[in-house]
Amino acid sequence: MTTKTYSKSFSEGEFLVCSLAKLVENGRFYWVAGAGSPLYAVIIARRLYAPEAHYITEDGVIDPEPAIPFDHPFMGMMTSRSGYRAVAWWTMNWAAFLASLGYMDYGILNTVQVDPYGNVNSTHLGGNYREFERRFGGPGGADAIAGLCRRLILAFPHEKRRFVPRVDFISSPGYLDGPGARERWGMPRDSGPWRVVTTKATFDFEPESRRMRLIAVAPWATKEEVLSEMGFEPLVAEKVQTMELPTEEELTILRTELDVWGLTQQEGRWIQF
Amino acid sequence: MEVIAEGGKPFLRPDPDGFRAWVAEKKRRELVDKLTDEADAVRRLVSDGDYLVYDCNYLQRGPNSLLREVIRQRKRNLWVGGKFTWVDAGLLVAGGVVGQVDVGFVGPWRDQWRRVRESGIPCYESGNLGMTVRLLAGAMGVPFLPVRFLGGTDSFYQTGAKVVRDPFTGQAVTLVPALNPDVALIHAHQADRYGNARVFGTGIAHLECALASKKVIISAEETIDHEDFRRNPQRTTIPYFLVDAVVHAPFGGYPGEVQGYYGGDIDHFNELIGALEGYRMDEYLEKWVFSLASDREMLEKRVGLAKLLELKKRAEIREGYR
Repeated sequence: MTTKTYSKSFSEGEFLVCSLAKLVENGRFYWVAGAGSPLYAVIIARRLYAPEAHYITEDGVIDPEPAIPFDHPFMGMMTSRSGYRAVAWWTMNWAAFLASLGYMDYGILNTVQVDPYGNVNSTHLGGNYREFERRFGGPGGADAIAGLCRRLILAFPHEKRRFVPRVDFISSPGYLDGPGARERWGMPRDSGPWRVVTTKATFDFEPESRRMRLIAVAPWATKEEVLSEMGFEPLVAEKVQTMELPTEEELTILRTELDVWGLTQQEGRWIQF
Repeated sequence: MEVIAEGGKPFLRPDPDGFRAWVAEKKRRELVDKLTDEADAVRRLVSDGDYLVYDCNYLQRGPNSLLREVIRQRKRNLWVGGKFTWVDAGLLVAGGVVGQVDVGFVGPWRDQWRRVRESGIPCYESGNLGMTVRLLAGAMGVPFLPVRFLGGTDSFYQTGAKVVRDPFTGQAVTLVPALNPDVALIHAHQADRYGNARVFGTGIAHLECALASKKVIISAEETIDHEDFRRNPQRTTIPYFLVDAVVHAPFGGYPGEVQGYYGGDIDHFNELIGALEGYRMDEYLEKWVFSLASDREMLEKRVGLAKLLELKKRAEIREGYR
């Protein structure tokens, strides 16, 4: 649909956003967190690959044509720019009704910590719930996004400390402790984690065991390197693919219209070919 | 109904009949003038120990002049419903007004969490949607609602929710208890003196909050004629009888954005986030709340006309907000 010129100079953080954008499917609905890479990825994809991919955010904005860039990284919801030219302005419960009904095909979340079943921690690290070492903001809307969307995509920097055998706290549900667990807790049977995209690799979830499985690595990374930077051993697909590089077209939108503060440029290493 | 699992943590007990009694006794059906200022509304309607819910937040159409007044009056031991919040809980915790927090999203701020840990402030975890569905149940006058999330997480065990066998399908389903706060603070675009209010743009759960709460304070950017509501009933978001006080609060959402009216003060955001991450909240609150008698004085002395005009100019997108 559009020309693809692969970039020779970008950060791993930018690579992550562009990899997410390439996963966006036309003709689907996305429930995205209203800040950072999930929203950026969908907006890039709508421009370049998937014009009929539509999104809502937690504040109940339905299919906006946002006036980007936003005023601040936190201003991707509940603002006149983020809600511009939407088809409807609703509120939070109605957004969740759409997800519960099955309209939300995909959810995309950033996360602090994840385990082999795709369970997500955004509550605390270390200690326990009351006596934590580091505390985060809580799930926000992420537990409903993870609970109700048909396919959940998780995105985060590829760091050993983020991949753990068991998350310190399940803030948002993956496959919990294995096959059938989500259904036993009352979640929709057609929901759950679908992909994990990091700054170095892509994973899916093996259908029988519901465990994370390596399916692709970045062109500059090896399978061994990716696995050595994880706190558990994932399954590995028979044939591990090579991920596509970011394109100049994707990066131009990201750098000049979305992350104008350059935050994703500072994530991970700088890659230069 | 078979109970499969219980969160087992404290929650504000639903009492639908108690709420009906409150409505019978306290909620005025007549059109009465409710116009007042922040100081009076907060003095009369926010009591120590109340469950307090605010709608939207400090960066986005929050009832910020009211929140500052709650801190200024040094209310105590409030149980705060912290849904969809970047910094509000951080402000309230630093202001010393918080007794307990229901967490939807309250930000990762070091100052906030150090104070929570050191003071042993109990927290519970509903998630944003858990909170808004609890408020919806409260707004419906029923004791609980079923949801298809929350159960199965560790957050569930920090709530009062239950997972039960649904008697209709036989499947597991999570029940969240209704939430009927003592007091709701809501910032609207327009209101009349009786309490009719219009909220434009997206929102979190302002109507649920107004219905579910015993006492409701509306602050509004503009006060408009009652006739305007009669002429355009479709635009009414919150009808007057739900509301106990109306505060005319131009720039009441400062430093946040109020969609279509003014932009957020990004310099202020950075100052505040810096204070929350750098343990400088005492200093911040002294400068922006305690050293000032009112919000009007804050706008005059700390913000200034030039900044206010700049923020107004930044509201370039007005379609749908008038």
